[in-house]
Amino acid sequence: MSEADHPNGSSPPTRMFRVYRYKRGDPGWRFDAFEVPVGARTTVLEALRWIQLHRDRTLALRYSCLHASCGTCGMQVNGREVLACVTLADTLGSTITVEPLANIPVLTDLVVDMRQLFERFPDEIGTVRMSDALPQASPPDGIETYERFEDCIECGLCLSACPVSATSDAYVGPAALAAAQRLLEEPRGVDPERILDWADDPNGAWQCHAAFECTEACPSNVRPAERIMALRGRLAGGLRTVATVMPG
Amino acid sequence: MSGQELPGTERRGDDGPVLRKGVGVPASGWFDPRGRALGGFAFAVNRVTGLGLVVYLYLHLAVLSMLLRGESAWSGFLRLATNWLFLSLDVLLIFGILYHGLNGIRVALVGSGVVPDRQKALWWALGVIGTITLAFSALHIYGSR
Amino acid sequence: MTRSAPRASRDAPHVLIVGGGGTGGALAHDLTLRGIRVTLVERGEFTSGTTGRHHGLLHSGARYAVNDRESAIECIEENAILRAICPGSFEENDGLFVALTDEDMEYYADFVEGCKGCGIPIEELTAQEALRMEPLLNPELKAAVRVPDATMDAMRMPLRFFASAKHGGATLYNFMEVLDLVVADGAVTGATVRDQVTGSEGDLHADLVVNATGPWSEKIARMAGVDVPISPSPGVMLALHGRLCNMVINRMHRSGDGDIVVPQRALSVVGTSSWTVEDPDELDVPEDHVARMRVEGAKLIPAVAQAGFRAAWSAARPLIGAMEADSGRELSRTFKTIDHAEDGVEGFVTITGGKATTLRGMAELCADVISRKLGVDRPSTTRTVTTLPHTAFYAENERRLA
Repeated sequence: MSEADHPNGSSPPTRMFRVYRYKRGDPGWRFDAFEVPVGARTTVLEALRWIQLHRDRTLALRYSCLHASCGTCGMQVNGREVLACVTLADTLGSTITVEPLANIPVLTDLVVDMRQLFERFPDEIGTVRMSDALPQASPPDGIETYERFEDCIECGLCLSACPVSATSDAYVGPAALAAAQRLLEEPRGVDPERILDWADDPNGAWQCHAAFECTEACPSNVRPAERIMALRGRLAGGLRTVATVMPG
Repeated sequence: MSGQELPGTERRGDDGPVLRKGVGVPASGWFDPRGRALGGFAFAVNRVTGLGLVVYLYLHLAVLSMLLRGESAWSGFLRLATNWLFLSLDVLLIFGILYHGLNGIRVALVGSGVVPDRQKALWWALGVIGTITLAFSALHIYGSR
Repeated sequence: MTRSAPRASRDAPHVLIVGGGGTGGALAHDLTLRGIRVTLVERGEFTSGTTGRHHGLLHSGARYAVNDRESAIECIEENAILRAICPGSFEENDGLFVALTDEDMEYYADFVEGCKGCGIPIEELTAQEALRMEPLLNPELKAAVRVPDATMDAMRMPLRFFASAKHGGATLYNFMEVLDLVVADGAVTGATVRDQVTGSEGDLHADLVVNATGPWSEKIARMAGVDVPISPSPGVMLALHGRLCNMVINRMHRSGDGDIVVPQRALSVVGTSSWTVEDPDELDVPEDHVARMRVEGAKLIPAVAQAGFRAAWSAARPLIGAMEADSGRELSRTFKTIDHAEDGVEGFVTITGGKATTLRGMAELCADVISRKLGVDRPSTTRTVTTLPHTAFYAENERRLA
């Protein structure tokens, strides 16, 4: 919070943050309340770090890149899955409730055990893909096509939002299925049959119930729900339309 | 493991609480409409109507079994079946059938990869068809009294 | 390539690394490969300090080829090594240095000569050639030079070193904060830590403690009663919606603000600026700096002016040198290992300075110093060991390690 946010040196406006707290070994969880100064551009993450630095150093908080690229700051803010680093606190009302992601065991406070997300992925996932930006560009000599990282930043917001994952821990979840579909769209040396075998499972592609909450929550345009449907189309043996080849 | 560990650091992550959306009852996560978008809401209503239709099926069979008890029992039932409350329940039943059926068509089209990226538009379009059909049916049902 | 060293024996010396950024992770990996027992503690999530926040540039070193040749040579060497040992962790599209003004063109000859002198492979391009490669460049550009820059994922690339160290037997703790160092008879013998997961506190002991906390180096060093000449030097970065370039776009001039645009997935990151602070935990995001990113970035790629805002943030570089510098740009970007035996404190080493691109090289030199101190006669093998994929960090079972 810089001085520029507060004209005339007046006391900055504050918001009430209710923050989920849990330490391993505690009998249960609780909510702690903090009054936090919030300016027009303060993000939820900045507010939480302010709490950590100025009110409670034992608050555990997960973050890294501060610009929606690493996917580590996923949490529920007022019941909705967001990346805290790009969520403005100013627009959220006078009381802001912050909880960790749902459907994944909590490690401590706002940190969940991300092993549970990564365990669900298929053995192969692609990390780098063809870039579809600026198709009119000609790459320099020695570079066949421009490449870029896959959209999925492994944030877990989709898994937290999924109503099926709310009742089934065996379901592999949207991120894993979307990653599998990406390998069907762009194989990069992986055998498509292996991917289809992996997805063709009662707890794989067939467990999705088309709620589309994952696509709503995704901060990175992965569109997991549409990809799961395309994957199912492929599994169902070729009800192929243009929709099974996803744009972008 | 190298080095020593602080007590309690072994098995980090095991046994932690798991947040679930829902209404406090285990396995009710799908039911919670808070923070949900259209797709999640559609899914939840689909499940509720599905459960409702199963309950209706049982009631329907129970009613039909009255035929086995002779004409006076059946006539008694018919008198019940023509009062306002009962007709309203009929309208509710029609809503359940229409919603579950039309949304089911939507899920089938979307879920098999035919039109996965039009799920919201499809919900609204089928919703219009369903609403018109429901209105027509309701008029007919109440008008038949 | 998975395991390349047996797990350390119980008799092996034990090193405690404080700081879970790229440097700490790479050091844990290097020492583990030499058979040394490693425990690492990081107060937050790994790479949550400076490492995770940078714009993701894998340096070719060209930026330093004129003014800081030592850094430039370090960069180009590590650039090649990292591509080999971290396959799949880079967007390998190369980069451009773009001359926009006559003043830029005056720098051109020095720039080309500097790159050649440092062994940085370049290709001189006409404006038309550059625009074919990058159609959204400022059409008024005068010339461009292609360099072997690349984009890395600032968190996931270092996480590979953590994954390799972990599966090699190192004990890595995130959410464990060092409250104080344990000092006895002029030697550091361990650290008092608080485990944020359980809330409990206790001591960890080691034969040697390494301070790998980047801009927080001074804070940790003071716990041992020594000083390190570190100036935390933050800079602002701006992430915009839209992948406005595929190659890294740099301004061809002596360093200045907002002179780089780095593509990252579907975002474009414009950076950066520079000032110095006392406390790296209190970082502002000055609005005028953010505005300057837009203005300067738009000189390179005009579409920057209208692109949608995603995020603006600050990250503190760990610059070596005393606090007299005003902007931080005057200080060298190279790195340093400091054995505090020189200051009369045994069992304590600081590794600091440097940049994300040189994490492995920094760790190698520091691990050499540490190995010598501990009497372990094994060289570094990190140059040639392929690191595990970042997903292996979270894997419990062996099947992910291929």
